[in-house]
Amino acid sequence: MKSGIFLAATMSLCIGAYGAKAQEEISGGATLYGDLQSVTQSMLTRAAGDGNNFLHTNGNYAQTRYYPASQINTSNVKNLRPAWIFQTEVVDTMETSPIVVNGIMYVTTAFNHVYALDARTGKQIWHHKHAMGPVTTYCCGPNNRGVAVSGDKVFFGTLDAKLVALDAKTGKQLWETQIAEPELGYSETMAPSVVEDMVLIGTNGGEYGIRGFVKAFDTETGEEKWTFHTVPENSVGVWATEDATGRDMHRDIEAEKVALAARGDPYETLGGGVWQNPAVDLETRRIYFVVGNPSPDLDGSLRPGDNLYTDSLVSVNLDTGEYVCHLQYIAHDVWDLDAVSPPIITMVKDASGNDVKGILHGGKTGHVYVHNADDCSLIRFSEAMVPQEDMWTLPTAEGARMLPGANGGVEWSPMAIDPNHRLSYAINLHQPMTYTVRSTPYPEGKLWLGGSFDVIAEEEQWGNVTAVDYDTGKISWQVRTEQPMIGGIIATAGGLVFTGEGNGLFKAYDSSNGGELWRFQAGAGVNAPPSSYTVEGQQYIVVAAGGNAQLNFKRGNNIIAFTLAD
Amino acid sequence: MRLPLIVLALWLAASPVLAKDDFVLEDEVAFCMSCHGDTGLPTEPDYPVIWGQQYFYIYTQLRDYGAGRRENETMTPIAAEYDRDQAKLLAEHFAALAWPDIPAEILAGDRQLAEKGITGGQCSACHGKWQGDSRIPRLAGQQVGYLRKTMLDFKNEVRMNAPDKISTMKQLGDETIDALSRYLATVDVQ
Repeated sequence: MKSGIFLAATMSLCIGAYGAKAQEEISGGATLYGDLQSVTQSMLTRAAGDGNNFLHTNGNYAQTRYYPASQINTSNVKNLRPAWIFQTEVVDTMETSPIVVNGIMYVTTAFNHVYALDARTGKQIWHHKHAMGPVTTYCCGPNNRGVAVSGDKVFFGTLDAKLVALDAKTGKQLWETQIAEPELGYSETMAPSVVEDMVLIGTNGGEYGIRGFVKAFDTETGEEKWTFHTVPENSVGVWATEDATGRDMHRDIEAEKVALAARGDPYETLGGGVWQNPAVDLETRRIYFVVGNPSPDLDGSLRPGDNLYTDSLVSVNLDTGEYVCHLQYIAHDVWDLDAVSPPIITMVKDASGNDVKGILHGGKTGHVYVHNADDCSLIRFSEAMVPQEDMWTLPTAEGARMLPGANGGVEWSPMAIDPNHRLSYAINLHQPMTYTVRSTPYPEGKLWLGGSFDVIAEEEQWGNVTAVDYDTGKISWQVRTEQPMIGGIIATAGGLVFTGEGNGLFKAYDSSNGGELWRFQAGAGVNAPPSSYTVEGQQYIVVAAGGNAQLNFKRGNNIIAFTLAD
Repeated sequence: MRLPLIVLALWLAASPVLAKDDFVLEDEVAFCMSCHGDTGLPTEPDYPVIWGQQYFYIYTQLRDYGAGRRENETMTPIAAEYDRDQAKLLAEHFAALAWPDIPAEILAGDRQLAEKGITGGQCSACHGKWQGDSRIPRLAGQQVGYLRKTMLDFKNEVRMNAPDKISTMKQLGDETIDALSRYLATVDVQ
């Protein structure tokens, strides 16, 4: 028996009521194609061990992106071939994480189209096109990062700042909720998360002077259950002069205090978007998410103080949204080197070598930050995965060069881990930029950068895939890529990591040493996080190849599923 | 939702409060067309195409002219007379019209220079494939003269209602701006 099939069958036996139903559908030792059946909380909770489905944007509530099937592995990945290619109606930037439920796949495109596909064949089951309102907002492409599934519903956020629930069987809209006012710069590109009867979602808008939040909505009605403002009414903080790694940020604290006295707390337009899903700890009833940059990005003169909780890891109570703890990576950020890659929950070694529940975050700074989940405190930070030069040089009117550029390091791209190797896997950008400041007043919902970040066209750009030992912070292996990397990565029990590049290459690496084992040319930028699933005993790797607007990588409209050749 | 009060107050205060008393949509449209063209082709090379332009972008520009955030000796007094609803009616009208086909030429070397500028300014992050969406204007197929004037107005701090463009355009040489203008004017309208 192939190990992936064995794992799939084992998991089906392990998961209560759903397990019993799934077991009935197993024939000849292989999992069968399902029929759009309900996603139970038990399935969502146990997703980390589910080698059939891919139920969460980042694989499971801990967001490890470690897939437990091993049918595709280091010894046979050379035989990986496209099983099917589905072309969507929208040829534009794709950041979707395919979600798979019993052989049905849900993917999204730019401008909020949602498709349900037969995951065995790529055949379209339904197509839902969101009736977009006249006002949309996005700084970095008309992206969407995918759906959440629960019960018989599919949930997604929209560029006109709505949360929408669809019937999973038909694609018909069940309800929609206006999350926030799009004219003021609010929009949704992240995939929601579902826990029990709550849909959790943050907001974009850190480039538009919003006041960020994470909200919970009722899965049945769309009614709001709680809101956590990522910027508190007192956003001043402790006047930190050093970043989380101990480097001087060259703040003029006295000038900021004068500005605070004159202007008051800037919290109402301070930004603090949340770009990616929270990690969920059902044991402690906490969620962990990272908060993006303050508004305006480059101009600190209008926003005195630490600008809490921008550029921070934050934990709140799952049931109430009440604050639990935070750690700010960069206080009063004026470089947009914020926190966007989704956090991961896993056991880590603390400074004394004890195993503790930890939180990992890959920063735009190029560090992997390792936290204690109890109080968000920082245990360690990794070696820099990309060049860092002249940190922290303040932006100037003429433009000041500093590395990393404002896209990172690690952008919104999710990391993966392999808990057996004790490694995290991140994809990085190296994009030298100048930082220019130009102070302008709040423009009422229009783009508000307070200057510009400009790529230095004469300097070489590149990317890398980097494995970090999160117990030590040391780089275990690193592979350089031709272009800056944005999209995401998955690790599997087959000893592999899969990730794509802007030049269309989709590659498999040996997760223990970074050796390249397989590649495929997708014809458009592969800038989306891969997923994996197993149907009828066959494991697949699936990824979107639609390019990327932010980095102007070649656009496409393909969902490509790979499986082993017979 | 509950908007922060100060933000809401700022937002509401930003729009002209007086409506044009004798507003008749057909008359106003005819007035607009006297410059912007009765077939979509503007009467001057540095006037913008507004037929088929994005609804929310047109509306925002009218508001900005009216509030003095964008200045133009012709447009400012005209837009100052419209209230929000009148500006929306005009924006809806012109957004629903077909974008005109305006012949334009690209010169040897323009594409390379333009793409270098696009990469440096990360233009595609917002402008995507240049077709526009909501608050982002369509640039594909726009008049060369208007594109050039707009970029230079940003660079020279004449146009102030999208101030972040000022920093970006100051990074570009005039030769790059010329090439970008010709390049964008020849991008297919989808």
